[in-house]
Amino acid sequence: MSRHSILPGQPVTALFLLHVGSMDARLIGLSVERHWKHSVRLASELESARVVLVDCDRPGVEAAFERLSPHPRIGVVCYAFHPKDHSQRFPNRVILGKPLNLEALPSILAKAAHDSARTIAAPSLRRAAPLTQPAPPTIQPGSEEPPRVPIVTPASPVPAVVVAAAPIVQAELQPQSGTTAAPPVSAPQADPPGSLGHGVQTDDERDLCGALEDLPAHPVHPLPDKIFFNPDNYLIGHLQRAFDQASSTGRPHLIAGLPRLIGVRLQPASICVTDFRDNQLRPLSMAQLPQTTARIVSASTLSHISNHGTTWTTEDFFWNVAAWAARGRLPEGTDPYQPVRLRAWPNFTKVFMSPHALRIVALWVRTWASPIDVAARLGIPQRYVFSVYASARFAGLIDARKPRAATVEARTATPTQPTTNAAPPAQQQQQQRPSILSRILRKLLNAV
Amino acid sequence: MRSERARHNKIIFSGTVGAGKSTAIAALSDIPPVSTEAVASDETAKLKRTTTVAMDYGVLNLPDGEKVMLYGTPGQERFSFMWDILSEGGIGLVLLINNANPDPLADLQGYLSAFKDFISSTAVAIGVTHMDSSETPNLENYRAKLAELGHHPIPAIFRVDARSRDDVAMLVKALLYTLNPGLIDA
Ligand SMILES: Nc1nc2c(ncn2[C@@H]2O[C@H](COP(=O)(O)OP(=O)(O)O)[C@@H](O)[C@H]2O)c(=O)[nH]1
Ligand SMILES: [Mg+2]
Repeated sequence: MSRHSILPGQPVTALFLLHVGSMDARLIGLSVERHWKHSVRLASELESARVVLVDCDRPGVEAAFERLSPHPRIGVVCYAFHPKDHSQRFPNRVILGKPLNLEALPSILAKAAHDSARTIAAPSLRRAAPLTQPAPPTIQPGSEEPPRVPIVTPASPVPAVVVAAAPIVQAELQPQSGTTAAPPVSAPQADPPGSLGHGVQTDDERDLCGALEDLPAHPVHPLPDKIFFNPDNYLIGHLQRAFDQASSTGRPHLIAGLPRLIGVRLQPASICVTDFRDNQLRPLSMAQLPQTTARIVSASTLSHISNHGTTWTTEDFFWNVAAWAARGRLPEGTDPYQPVRLRAWPNFTKVFMSPHALRIVALWVRTWASPIDVAARLGIPQRYVFSVYASARFAGLIDARKPRAATVEARTATPTQPTTNAAPPAQQQQQQRPSILSRILRKLLNAV
Repeated sequence: MRSERARHNKIIFSGTVGAGKSTAIAALSDIPPVSTEAVASDETAKLKRTTTVAMDYGVLNLPDGEKVMLYGTPGQERFSFMWDILSEGGIGLVLLINNANPDPLADLQGYLSAFKDFISSTAVAIGVTHMDSSETPNLENYRAKLAELGHHPIPAIFRVDARSRDDVAMLVKALLYTLNPGLIDA
């Protein structure tokens, strides 16, 4: 916290949400109300703002910048899934990666406001040139030199990957992400029905499972912090508390204080009910929700939500919400070198499927193995295994009580050498003869 | 285990009358599924007019021109003599259990036992259908049953709507990864 805290005597930053989806607006509004009262206030109009926030992934971002051109002294903070892509379009903008780092945002806003206020810049230079317009004369095509404009850019624009590993406020994945990415959350077409677990393509992978480097095959201590997430800082932690209270009291419990409700009921069947739409749940699950953001309350019934909401089995709901929080990380306290097993397959016709999830599960229901081992045996990055682990943990599908007999199995199966070039047995078999199984699989993956 | 080359390219769909075998095959097949429906002369006719009492099949056309046959087994016990012949050399079993039946857990046990040899040399993936209308037993009850039966490896079991191609394809994918978690898919 101290790294990002606002300096004493610094004024409250008036923030205008110039170009931001409705879900982002709500979450930022909540953060202002509950955590940033002394550092940020929301301005109701552009003219009274000292800084604005712009989501570059939403269509119409050029028009948003147009509105800014008469106001060179207003600071601008942009954010996007792939800041690098946008930094070419808008070379002089501060572009943060999604998900936004909530802890850091107030001070970034304050700095942008401060820097712009000091800068007396020509509006035409401050405006980012849309791609269709000719470049300013000072820039040669292909020139290495960035255009020199009198704007103070932050010392280190935050790269997407770094910010993505930090606590977050909001993010939405773009199923067919590209330069014309759909806006997050608020757009009805943002999330096609199939995107809750199927057809996950490589372009989305870093958003789904981060970009963590693999750990070594042999235990290292201490483990790097960045491989872990603290569930208490995410929706999954609140859900777990609601679940625990529902099971200890026998009564349904609600998570209150969010823009919509989520209820957990364990009898007669264990279900979660919510009036969040499916395409809102993912960004909400990825968002950092400090403990005080929401409260768990007892309810006599969930019928007021279930009438117009969606009902999930708790297992499926927890699987998804945990996967979206984890993004390729492990819950804090997990030993990635400890052998475990999955006690069952998750319900893959309904739950979110991260890359390689099927093969990870197929292996893990039959073998005691640590997350590190599973990745080594399948020859895949560990973050995909961490994602499955995190989901399975919260869905109650991890079996950590290894029977004695299984120790031998796990030992013999664990490679004693670093496994960089040791293909898993299954894969070696695969390479020897072209497989009908592979071809059927390809057909199903392409056609579904 | 036989080599894959010697196997016929076929996937067997089995399960009780009305579980959704014909529907699942139709959902997945690249050709209109061929059904050799016999006229149901007994109670099943009243139960469901189009139910499979003989067998049906569909085809998955692979990009290289190869075909994978999708065979549905006759649902009725009195046709069970055909199951061994049908499944001979098959890639694996997709078992559909109708959750609306009076005792679906007993159905599960019965079918796993009837296909015991086939499953032990191949694999099984289980789809529980009609869960939209019948919520119980739930997946956890099925898993408990599978644990009791001591199946290893633990079979994939999903909530499935046989009318959904995605759901049926997911069962087949799980079957393939159960056969070989190291399958290359790209
Ligand atoms: N509501 C519902 N109907 C289903 C489901 N699965 C299959 N059906 C329907 O159940 C009926 C029986 O399916 P069918 O494929 O003929 O069963 P078969 O006897 O196993 O071949 C058909 O009308 C299907 O559309 C399901 O999950 N939910
Ligand atoms: Mg039929």
